Amino acid sequence: MSSIFSLTMLAESIRIAVPYACAAIGGVWAERAGVIQIGLEGILLTGAFTAVSVTHATHSPTLGLVAAIGAGIALSLGHGQLTERARVHAVISGIALNLLALAATRMGLRALYDSASNSPGIEAYRFGPTGATGGAMLLRVLADPVFFCALAAVAATPFVLRNTRFGLRVRAAGENPVATASVGISVTRVRLSALAVSGAICALGGAHLAYDQQRFESGMSAGRGFIALAAVVVSGWRAGRAALACLAFGVLEALQITLQDEVRKTAVGDLIQTLPYVATLLVLALAPRRAGAPEGLGKHAAE
Amino acid sequence: MRGPVMKIEDIAVRYGDCWSIRSATITLEPGVIHAILGENGAGKSTLLKAAVGFAPRVAGTVRIEGGAGAIGMVHQHFMLVSAFTALENLVLGNEPTGSFGRLDLAKARREAEALMEKTGLRVNLDARTSELAVGERQRLEILRVLYRGARAILLDEPTAVLSPLEAEELYTTLGVLAEGGATIAVVTHRMDEVIRFAGHVTIMRRGRTVLSRPIAAEERSDPKRLEDVLTRAIMGGEPPPETSPPALAQDAKVALSIEDLVLVDAGGKRVLDGLSLTVKKGEIVGIAGIEGNGQRELVRAAAGLEPGVAGSIVLDGARLPAVRSTEDLRKRRRAIAVVHEDRHADGLMLDASVGDNLVLGELGEIDGPGAEAALITRRIERFGVYPPEPARRAGELSGGNQQKVVVGRALDRIEASPERALVVLGQPTRGVDVGAASTIHGAIVKAAEKGLAVLVVSADLGELRRLSHRILVIHRGRIVAELPPTTSDDVIGRAMLGMEDA
Repeated sequence: MSSIFSLTMLAESIRIAVPYACAAIGGVWAERAGVIQIGLEGILLTGAFTAVSVTHATHSPTLGLVAAIGAGIALSLGHGQLTERARVHAVISGIALNLLALAATRMGLRALYDSASNSPGIEAYRFGPTGATGGAMLLRVLADPVFFCALAAVAATPFVLRNTRFGLRVRAAGENPVATASVGISVTRVRLSALAVSGAICALGGAHLAYDQQRFESGMSAGRGFIALAAVVVSGWRAGRAALACLAFGVLEALQITLQDEVRKTAVGDLIQTLPYVATLLVLALAPRRAGAPEGLGKHAAE
Repeated sequence: MRGPVMKIEDIAVRYGDCWSIRSATITLEPGVIHAILGENGAGKSTLLKAAVGFAPRVAGTVRIEGGAGAIGMVHQHFMLVSAFTALENLVLGNEPTGSFGRLDLAKARREAEALMEKTGLRVNLDARTSELAVGERQRLEILRVLYRGARAILLDEPTAVLSPLEAEELYTTLGVLAEGGATIAVVTHRMDEVIRFAGHVTIMRRGRTVLSRPIAAEERSDPKRLEDVLTRAIMGGEPPPETSPPALAQDAKVALSIEDLVLVDAGGKRVLDGLSLTVKKGEIVGIAGIEGNGQRELVRAAAGLEPGVAGSIVLDGARLPAVRSTEDLRKRRRAIAVVHEDRHADGLMLDASVGDNLVLGELGEIDGPGAEAALITRRIERFGVYPPEPARRAGELSGGNQQKVVVGRALDRIEASPERALVVLGQPTRGVDVGAASTIHGAIVKAAEKGLAVLVVSADLGELRRLSHRILVIHRGRIVAELPPTTSDDVIGRAMLGMEDA
């Protein structure tokens, strides 16, 4: 059991938590601005695919990262155009976004690499010491540029939302779009800007996921976008708490992996695999209902 | 610094196929309070909106000459973000910032403090806006307009939500601003405010400005005559007869007896705290009080919509059982008619037709579609719902006509019920014009004449005085004073604040 309290566990937890946290921070940006965003899953997946395919073509993970962020922004703005200008219901648009991302990445896999399941391997970032000790693993996780970007996004989000003009307007648009418009602010413009930030940060998570595996696998986001959304709700739409919830999820998943190794031969193994998800359900069921939800979520400034 | 002269000439505004303003001409000059009067749907609010560019103008010109500073509007429904602090709301849209777009709230606070010092409009800047009282929120709205550098302020029915004392304070502040050279326009329904405070009055009727002139000082010495002149212009004819409560028989029996009503809200606050009162058959009892002192809960308790309420409600000698099923609720509805104070939230289905709204809640009690149509037509005619089209969407009616639908439905139904006993009305004429209010008052008096006990909750002391046999003052969930309707505003106002000497 000593393996549970080790540097390896810590490294694993953080590594696993990053894509969740990025998606959750993306969710916070969209929803604090008043746009329901269930398309985080699709943006994660698209970010992962774009990062891998560009890195594969250019041999530059940095270009891959930039391209992933660009793709995330584009998808998120597309969602915004549909919900804010065409007034499509945000749940419909979000589902469409998820389906589109799943189909498009599959088509991309087929077209570029003639595969139904995964891309060829890529050379992602390699910083930090080699070696299999827990300390070395932790240093590798922390020295990753994508992790650094994610950490910066997590740290900056609460500050920007609370202390800047942009943040104030984003919160105003999310709480009361009618009042916001009445003081001469374009709610649509504020929401689209917030969605751009949301898409960029969420796609960062996708890139992290792909670079971690050093390749793209079909459907590799595997529901992380939805778990992230649950973290947003549980946190009461607050960035710091949402990131913490994601870290807790990372710990549970790392625990699940470790425990599974130890009890692989017994029937408990399969049960243990469900641990993070059961925990999520429990927290969701016990959390106060919709506490802290932006009042103008899904509402518009004028008919 | 003087405010601008706003010349609005011959403008027309249309929403869809409905003309809101056909032809309006008004010049707003700095230095006096301009009052804009008119019936519901006459186009008063639209006139203000057209002046600031919020309404789709199809003809005419709006010219703003001389003076400096912007034009600000205080909407009837406050435009504040309730989750923000007062300070955040104050700066929204006009935020002072440092480097990298950082909010400079310290600077905003200094400016706001200076502004509050200058105008006497005080607001707790650090309080969450949702926790501010209505009057405070309104002060915040006015402060925001001033903070944005406006020298012209247009207010849409600012006193509809205020207690008499707060309204008085508001006009004092507006008067000071006007004397300082600001351009001030106020839409209102309350004649007494116009007579006491306005220096210029404009009257609109059916989308046209029919009168626009200064009020001379000597006219104020004969308020009755001025009121008569203005009312004639508003109605386009004779003013309606004054209502007065019907004679009350000496030996009238007690119809309603409420004893020791207690209701604790989710936050643990006792919103009704041992409230007791009685109403006799054929008696109209008015409830005065500052908003949020338990009026809403009293109305809801009488309707059987507050299952957590303790205490007893005795009607015609029989204690009302708690409402546990829809059958209980139906039974109660046969004896009691209720008009809730928020017609949009509790009174109407805005997306349904006027006809459906007029018979709402009577499914299964009406004998076939023919009878239903006849009932709808009768109610439209009896209460003068305008336009008299059952198929029109209720949300398209003006506020006054919506209120006629809500009150008309309740009164007409209960008068036809063999078990009728009580009518409870919350703010029956809030935001309703003179003509519609007169119709509604007439119907309330008629209900009392038919032997129903009537309980009227209202923020309009004039209304309570005209209608009631007795006025009860509610404060913190209990009745603190019982006063004759001849009592002065001052005395009622002090009782509303819970002062002992009242």
